[in-house]
Amino acid sequence: MEEDVETRKISSSFLRDHSYATEADIISTVEFNHTGELLATGDKGGRVVIFQREQESKNQPHRRGEYNVYSTFQSHEPEFDYLKSLEIEEKINKIRWLPQQNAAYFLLSTNDKTVKLWKDEDGEWRMGSRCLRAPTMVEPVSPLCRVLVRVRWGSGTCPWVLTLCLSSQVPVLRPMDLMVEATPRRVFANAHTYHINSISVNSDYETYMSADDLRINLWNFEITNQSFNIVDIKPANMEELTEVITAAEFHPHHCNTFVYSSSKGTIRLCDMRTSALCDRHAKFFEEPEDPSNRSFFSEIISSISDVKFSHSGRYIMTRDYLTVKVWDLNMENRPIETYQVHDYLRSKLCSLYENDCIFDKFECVWNGSDSVIMTGSYNNFFRMFDRNTKRDVTLEASRENSKPRAILKPRKVCVGGKRRKDEISVDSLDFSKKILHTAWHPAENIIAVAATNNLYIFQDKVN
Amino acid sequence: MEFKLEAHRIVSISLGKIYSARGQRGGLKLHKNLLVSLVLRSARQVYLSEPGCPPEPPPAASGRGGPRLPGADCEGPRPRRCCCGCSCCCAAAGGEANRADCAAAAEAAAPPPPHCPRKRSAGERGQAGSPVKKPRREVEEEPPPGEQEDMETGNVASLISIFGSSFSGLLSKEPKGRRRAPLDGGEATVATTPTDAAAEPGQICCDEPVLRTLNPWSTAIVAF
Repeated sequence: MEEDVETRKISSSFLRDHSYATEADIISTVEFNHTGELLATGDKGGRVVIFQREQESKNQPHRRGEYNVYSTFQSHEPEFDYLKSLEIEEKINKIRWLPQQNAAYFLLSTNDKTVKLWKDEDGEWRMGSRCLRAPTMVEPVSPLCRVLVRVRWGSGTCPWVLTLCLSSQVPVLRPMDLMVEATPRRVFANAHTYHINSISVNSDYETYMSADDLRINLWNFEITNQSFNIVDIKPANMEELTEVITAAEFHPHHCNTFVYSSSKGTIRLCDMRTSALCDRHAKFFEEPEDPSNRSFFSEIISSISDVKFSHSGRYIMTRDYLTVKVWDLNMENRPIETYQVHDYLRSKLCSLYENDCIFDKFECVWNGSDSVIMTGSYNNFFRMFDRNTKRDVTLEASRENSKPRAILKPRKVCVGGKRRKDEISVDSLDFSKKILHTAWHPAENIIAVAATNNLYIFQDKVN
Repeated sequence: MEFKLEAHRIVSISLGKIYSARGQRGGLKLHKNLLVSLVLRSARQVYLSEPGCPPEPPPAASGRGGPRLPGADCEGPRPRRCCCGCSCCCAAAGGEANRADCAAAAEAAAPPPPHCPRKRSAGERGQAGSPVKKPRREVEEEPPPGEQEDMETGNVASLISIFGSSFSGLLSKEPKGRRRAPLDGGEATVATTPTDAAAEPGQICCDEPVLRTLNPWSTAIVAF
């Protein structure tokens, strides 16, 4: 993956001999906990890095609520399935937090096959954050960058201003040095034949589900040797397979309700009270296809890569390759809102198919009040859509463009015609720099953006 | 003709992806390969379709050639293939009669693509009753380089015949025992030269007749 020059120069002198060094650092999931105090990232190397928000102090008001590395541990290791002669990747596909209990933090992490429950108690998981405050630079692997930005969406009566504060670059720590010997509290293994793509904690905090391509299993946190299969779309004859499950999530308030999305662009809402096996959906969300947009790749770009309930539980948001859609749970025949993320790619689908970019799975997130949605794009761009004002903005997560105290300009992609000065043309986009994973603080305007192996945390600065 | 070239290219790319997917770390990705197989199916249908028939889907992705609207004219001096698969009538006849036949076939074939390749002459019906199977197998194709594109569509095989290995062997690597029984018309006979295919993994050629009569290479195929 391409990093900016500065990072490359620094890290090359510390590179491990392992050829996976750079690849293993690619962040594969980002998730805030329920209070926003902690931020967890997982990477392709199977590591989990936890950041903790600094408590505000009167001494250093400008360092309000910054995130620093809290601890890190190796969650999953590569495994080999001898029966199938298959290697099982250690890449962390998803991390999901449980609510804090007493003084302990719990999180679930999963790779393709195995879900693990981790618990942090004093001394067992945490590194002791004091020593992290002024460390010497060891190896910059996950640089933290906070950027001052003032984004005005317009001088109208309701400008949405996002400001972020930049401090001097935090010395970066090599996660290996902070590695703790951590053992998972629970290991939920051997329940999935196919690759796990989602995990979701139920609102009852007693159960959670894990979804792979064809099945969804329900687990009790206390029981690791059995799970209940609640969705099974595997056809009797695999040759008749037409769609797979791509994402699944529990309703935020109703512990019997969950949704799962498919590769065909449909979403099914299921109620576990109706039957043990939720093969029959309670609701079926699908938008009729636009025949004028039909192409060889229509099926690929309609495949849903992420589905998220709004915090209110009234809406679901889905991400497919080119758009983000918001659905009202009460209306199944079409979404209530559709946002074009990067429609200029529609004419480039063949090239994107060739270089495999068309298979990229972008995630999407809601802000705490469900008024703004965010998703990633290419060239380290990410997009925010304000559902109320219908304004949208494109921002870039790049240290090159983020000088201290600089104002981060909204970016614009030129789709044709004369390119203006600050615009970037579609052909100049760097498709190796993709933002697939983002997270939004549950209450505040703080976002975490993973750009390959860099993590950016943007905070708004209240003036 | 451009759309056919585009379709041909997409078929080649897709087969390359399926082939290279076998060496991927972490095992085969079911989702990705399913999508690739769907693209492959669409491109193949376009590729094999009658030039006069509206290709489904139109190759809008390429931006070239433009989408073919339904009812695109069937004119043209070139030999045409009717979707109905009546190769004899298409090859022999010409002019108005052909056009009329083609138009009729085009109209009949306008509804969903799965039915288009279904129309075959009686003698070639191997599995008219079975639904179009989605291609999720891997295939090694015999590379006859430089072979001229053959417009014969008399025997438009289903994808089962083209991708011979079974998908139901998902848990097992061994597809040998799962190869489908040979269909009428001999569309899916036993692999003839698996060693050849294994020896030339880099060459993937998607000539039309090869596409249609492709035999599975049991040794080279890894079941999902």
